[in-house]
Amino acid sequence: MTHTLHRQGSVEDLHEDYVLLLRTSRFVNHEGSEKTMQQIWEVISHYREDLVNFGNHNPNWDGGELYDLDALQKAKSRIIHVVFRDREKIKACLKEIKERDFGISTVVSGLCGETEKICAEIGISPHTVNYSLGIHGNTGRVPQGEILEIHTMCGHSMVATNLIHHMVNEINKGKITCWAAAKNLSRMCDCGIFNTYRAEKLLRSMTTDRSR
Amino acid sequence: MLIDREKCIGCEECFPYCPVGAIRLAEGGSVSEIDQAECVECGCCYKRSSVCPVDAIYMPKLEWPRCLREYFSNPDVKHPSTTGNGRGTEEMKTNDVTGRFGRGEAGVALELGRPGVGTAFRDLETVAMAIARLGVEFESQNPVAELMADPKTGKFNDAVLNERVLSAIIELKVPVGKLRDVLAVVKEVATKIDTAFSLDLISRVDADGTTPVVAIAQAAGFSPRPNTKTNVGLGRPLFKEA
Repeated sequence: MTHTLHRQGSVEDLHEDYVLLLRTSRFVNHEGSEKTMQQIWEVISHYREDLVNFGNHNPNWDGGELYDLDALQKAKSRIIHVVFRDREKIKACLKEIKERDFGISTVVSGLCGETEKICAEIGISPHTVNYSLGIHGNTGRVPQGEILEIHTMCGHSMVATNLIHHMVNEINKGKITCWAAAKNLSRMCDCGIFNTYRAEKLLRSMTTDRSR
Repeated sequence: MLIDREKCIGCEECFPYCPVGAIRLAEGGSVSEIDQAECVECGCCYKRSSVCPVDAIYMPKLEWPRCLREYFSNPDVKHPSTTGNGRGTEEMKTNDVTGRFGRGEAGVALELGRPGVGTAFRDLETVAMAIARLGVEFESQNPVAELMADPKTGKFNDAVLNERVLSAIIELKVPVGKLRDVLAVVKEVATKIDTAFSLDLISRVDADGTTPVVAIAQAAGFSPRPNTKTNVGLGRPLFKEA
C-alpha cells in the first residue's frame, strides 16, 4: 500500500527524489502485457543517463548491476520502477509514455505540488492520490534524522538502520567512500527504488568524507 | 534464519544487515546466533547481502505460523493467499483500471512496524479490533485478511498473534462521510500499541484537481506530508464509474 510513499526528508531534498512506477493489474490488463512492458523499458532507456535507479519485480541482489536496461527490454516485467533526481527528466519521460499510449497504470511518487504541475504541463489529469499522513504510534522507537531518510528509501525496510550506521562508521574510518556506501545500501533494495544519489549526499553530510 | 555453529567464525560481519538487530554473539563469544523470537525471516543476512564469508547462514524449512514472518518480511517471497509479492495490494496504483476507490470513498491503510521498528500480529489485532467497531470492511485482497478469524470484529487467529514481521498493513475503504470517525479511532489506538505505523489516505481526484479528504484529515489532526503518490490515469481500459 505504501512502498515509495513514506520517503522522509525536507522539501528541498525531495526535489531530487521522484519515482515513476508502472504496473499492470492482475484483474484487468496483465494478460498479454509482456511486449508492452518491454516497449516501456525501451522508452525509459532513452533517459539512460538521467536514471538514479530502476528495477522490476525481480530481486536485485547485485548492487543494481543485475538490472540492465537492455536486458529489461527483453524480460518479463509486471512492475517497472524508475528513480529520477530531476523534475524535468521525469516530466519528459512521463510525456513520452503518455504519447505512446501504452495503457499501463502509471504512478508518480514525489512532491505533490510538483507532480500536479508536471501533470498540468503535459496535459494529464491526475486520477487518484495517496497521501502520507505521517508516522504514528510509538514514534520513540523510530529512527531519526538522516538515518530515517535513508532507511525510508526502501519501502520494504530492507536497508537496516544498523547497516546505515555501519556504513557511516566505515566512511569515517576511511575504509569506503560515500558513493560506495550508498551503492552497498542500494543493493538491499530489491525493487530498485532506492535513491542512491540522495543517499550519497546524506552520507556526505553525516561523515567526514568530502572526497568524490 | 539460522547460523550453522560448525561453520560460523564469529566475524560479526552479518550483524549490521539485520533490520531488527536479532544477530548477536552466542555465549562464549566465538560464534554468532540469531534470536529466533526476534528474527523476521526477511533474508537480509542471507542471499540478499551474501555477507557471510563461510556460508554459515541458512534458511530452515518454515512451518505454519512461522512461515508468515517470511511472507510478510521478504519481498521476494509470494504470499500463498494472494500469490503476490510484497505486503500490500495493487491499491491505488491501478485504480484507473480497477475502480477500487470510487468518488465518495476513501482508502485508509496503516502499515504497522514501519519504519524500522517491526511488529507482531498482536499489534495488528489491537488496531483492527478498534477500527472494526465502526463497522468498516477490511480489504480482502490484503494478505492480512486471511489471518483474521473474524473480519467483522478484527479478531485474529490466536496462533499467529506472536509472530513478528517487518511490517504488515491494515487496509480498508470507507465512505468519505465516515473518514473522520476512522481517523479519530486511529489517533486513539496509536497510543495503545508498542510499535509505530505509517498512515496512508487515498482519494479519487475531483474534476477541479482537489480531493475531499485532505480537509477531513486536517480537521482530525493529521497533516499530509508534502510527497504523495499520484496515479495519473494512463491505464486502459479506463474504469467507467457509474
